[in-house]
Amino acid sequence: MNSMGFFEYLASRWDDLLELSIEHAQVVLVSLLIATVIGVSLGVLTYRRPAAAQVVLAIASTILTIPSFALFGLLIPLLGLGYKPTVVALSAYALLSILRNTITGLRSVDPAITESAKGMGLSNLQQLVRIELPLAWPVIIAGIRVSALLILGIAAIAAYVNGPGLGGDIFSGLSRIGGANSLNLVLGGFLGIIVLALVFEALFAVLGRLTTSKGLN
Amino acid sequence: MRSAEETRDTTLAEESWESPQTPETGGPSSGARKGSLLASKLVRYLTMPLILAAVCVGLYLWVGSLELDSIEQRSLNREVITEKVIRHLEITAVATLVVVLLAVTAGVILTRPVMRKVAPYIAAVASTGQGVPAIGVLVLSAILLDQFGFKAAVAALVIYAFLPVLRNTMVGIRQVDPSVIESGRGMGMTKTAVLFQIELPLAVPIMLAGIRTALIIVVGTATLATFINAGGMGDIINTGIKTSREPILITGSLLTAVLALGIDYLAGIAEDVLKPRGL
Amino acid sequence: MTDGMRERDNGHRETMIRLENLSKTFPGQHEPAVDDLTMEIYAGEIVVLVGPSGCGKTTTMKMINRIIEPTGGRIYIEGEDVTTADPDKLRRRIGYVIQQIGLFPHMTIADNIATVPRMLGWDKKRISDRIDELLETVHISKSYRDRYPKQLSGGQRQRIGVARAMAADPPIMLMDEPFGAVDPITRERLQDEFIRLQQDIQKTIVFVTHDIDEAIKMGDRIAILREQSKIAQYDTPERILTDPADEYVEDFIGSGASLKRLSLSRVQDIQTSDWPVAGLNDSHDGVRDKMQRSGKEYVLLLDDQRKPKRWVSMADIEHNGIPLSEAGWPAVAIVEGRSSLYDTLDTMITSYKGSAIVVDDAGRYQGVVDFDAVLQAIESMRPAQHRDGRAVPEGA
Repeated sequence: MNSMGFFEYLASRWDDLLELSIEHAQVVLVSLLIATVIGVSLGVLTYRRPAAAQVVLAIASTILTIPSFALFGLLIPLLGLGYKPTVVALSAYALLSILRNTITGLRSVDPAITESAKGMGLSNLQQLVRIELPLAWPVIIAGIRVSALLILGIAAIAAYVNGPGLGGDIFSGLSRIGGANSLNLVLGGFLGIIVLALVFEALFAVLGRLTTSKGLN
Repeated sequence: MRSAEETRDTTLAEESWESPQTPETGGPSSGARKGSLLASKLVRYLTMPLILAAVCVGLYLWVGSLELDSIEQRSLNREVITEKVIRHLEITAVATLVVVLLAVTAGVILTRPVMRKVAPYIAAVASTGQGVPAIGVLVLSAILLDQFGFKAAVAALVIYAFLPVLRNTMVGIRQVDPSVIESGRGMGMTKTAVLFQIELPLAVPIMLAGIRTALIIVVGTATLATFINAGGMGDIINTGIKTSREPILITGSLLTAVLALGIDYLAGIAEDVLKPRGL
Repeated sequence: MTDGMRERDNGHRETMIRLENLSKTFPGQHEPAVDDLTMEIYAGEIVVLVGPSGCGKTTTMKMINRIIEPTGGRIYIEGEDVTTADPDKLRRRIGYVIQQIGLFPHMTIADNIATVPRMLGWDKKRISDRIDELLETVHISKSYRDRYPKQLSGGQRQRIGVARAMAADPPIMLMDEPFGAVDPITRERLQDEFIRLQQDIQKTIVFVTHDIDEAIKMGDRIAILREQSKIAQYDTPERILTDPADEYVEDFIGSGASLKRLSLSRVQDIQTSDWPVAGLNDSHDGVRDKMQRSGKEYVLLLDDQRKPKRWVSMADIEHNGIPLSEAGWPAVAIVEGRSSLYDTLDTMITSYKGSAIVVDDAGRYQGVVDFDAVLQAIESMRPAQHRDGRAVPEGA
């Protein structure tokens, strides 16, 4: 029954695991992209309006407080099972740190710098695009990184509502507890997500370095 | 579910770290500002309970207007829901209590001068816990303990929520102004007295933020305890999904969300109340 | 003239703290931070350890209450070897003020002050009375008892820091740049207050600073330290200024030693010259008469309380028509007898006539000083010709 060792199991299911990992990474990346577009936009719109910023931050943090299983439960009646509710839920969870770091990053730009930019005749938009966003970028990307790690884990739960990715193996292992390969299935999914998290960490470190001005070290 | 919630406590920690200056330094507008501060505080205190109450009332009215079939009736009755809520709170309370005891102790030990050399390694190991899927921790905990149910769920939640409390305890103690500790020692306070009378009280705001984060992680992740037969609110949601009954699914999900937000709200108030004055 | 008003070594000097071959080498360092320091600190004196940053002065001070444990040598307090005594008990006998003050931010002012008395087991009433007494001593209203440190200004915090250190009335206080973190005006005020306070409490105080001017102002005795806390000179401020032991001390004092020396002497201690004075209500003839008899070109007019009001010259009172209260020009270059020669000189330089009027506490005329008198005083401060270093007898 429970005969196969973990490494033997890995060798035999290598292809499947890789495919699941790619699926998992893909849904996370799509969600991150959506969350980044929304989060950075909202951040740009609100960072100079404390009251508005407080409201959007409060909403994003309320979303994050809703347990993921409950949020999936609420999305099913609206969006059905599968890919769609997964992306919506993951984007919603990814929103807070991206939004907050965008606001923090933009606010932490030295006023002397924006003032001198203004003094040189840069328009508000030019200031934002050429000065403020590049200076805030390291902080923003740190927020995206944190969100990525967060939703990599949450994506595993999405598998229960027919979402894609490695979570599927954890649940199928769970459903055949005591049966052959149940532990292997769970471990495979679990470790697969941790490996993905490490890969994402590395990618973000590289991306951060490549996209940050050298002057900001 | 873990890492982003952690960003909340880290940010809090950094905020109180970097802005020790007090906003109330007087000035002509300080009276007016205090007034509007009070108003915004009031709004903050009242908004959430009002929203949550509205959701509950709406849900009650909606479910009441439905013709429930026998499956729905089996889940959507007072006894079942009360039992699930209590179970959920039990899991949450026990796990949070254990986390606080263990992680605060560990944080205190790791910030003692004796541990200065090893602390960074232990902290690094602890923080690799980021990005670990909660459901995986729960299932593995059940398999490894060879026991499905309450204990496995609590064990998993403790592991899962350990880091924010540990880290905030360490950050909280480390950010205490060394000159305050030195003046305490200089007046002849013992190391223990300094720990309990100076370091820990001054670390409390940051520790509380970490504990609140842990509490939210626990209350949210406890929803998944249903998968290892530990009960709680997840049971209702799960029944809703399995039986494809939207009233059950929506009721379970909404009540779970209300429970989590309510606990977060109460934790926020506790944070404000427990914070030592003068900080 | 009496040299050094604040010098208190009048024969019976009682040793309060004795450091014997004290050394400290920090782990991982080859050179000691403090190397074989031996010095005695006398009861009731403010001893200032002064030297460039990194010279080991703070380390030395912190070894006295063993916040830093010495790696060699012994520490005696009131004759008792405390090198290995229980450091916590030792510290409760020694007041401690540091530059950052280190008030406990989560405790009220009263609780901050009560820290040591509580550890010593004082009863509530006694502690409460002591808090009130100390608040009065440091000029802080009792209504501040229940405030928190963040609600206080920098200067107030520093005062509370001093009050907290004095709470259990320790015979010894250690002060590490205690006035370093406040603005110059507040610093000056705190220094003055503290000197006045010390005249009442007569503590033995070890005071660390890098500021030679502060050292001169605060110190009954100054230890100028070089690297590794080696004593370059340990003496009264007067003697350090007039008779620096070597080039290092001279360099450390910097330029203007003579001017700094002036800040140690009071104008009441030098010879004031008598000047013809007259009353504002005197007759013009009377004033003219006084002027002629004195041979001076000006007469000082005083009011009924003998407060200096105006200077008049012969030309100003030629015409009887102008009342004396409007003749001449107002007397503004006025200094109190307690003023230092430094301040007096400053007043004289900015005055119209190059002299200053000396008055007593109530503002009553005492005499007039001019440049000659100050020059003479400076002359007498110089050490004896051959720099035998002890030309000025102890307790002069």
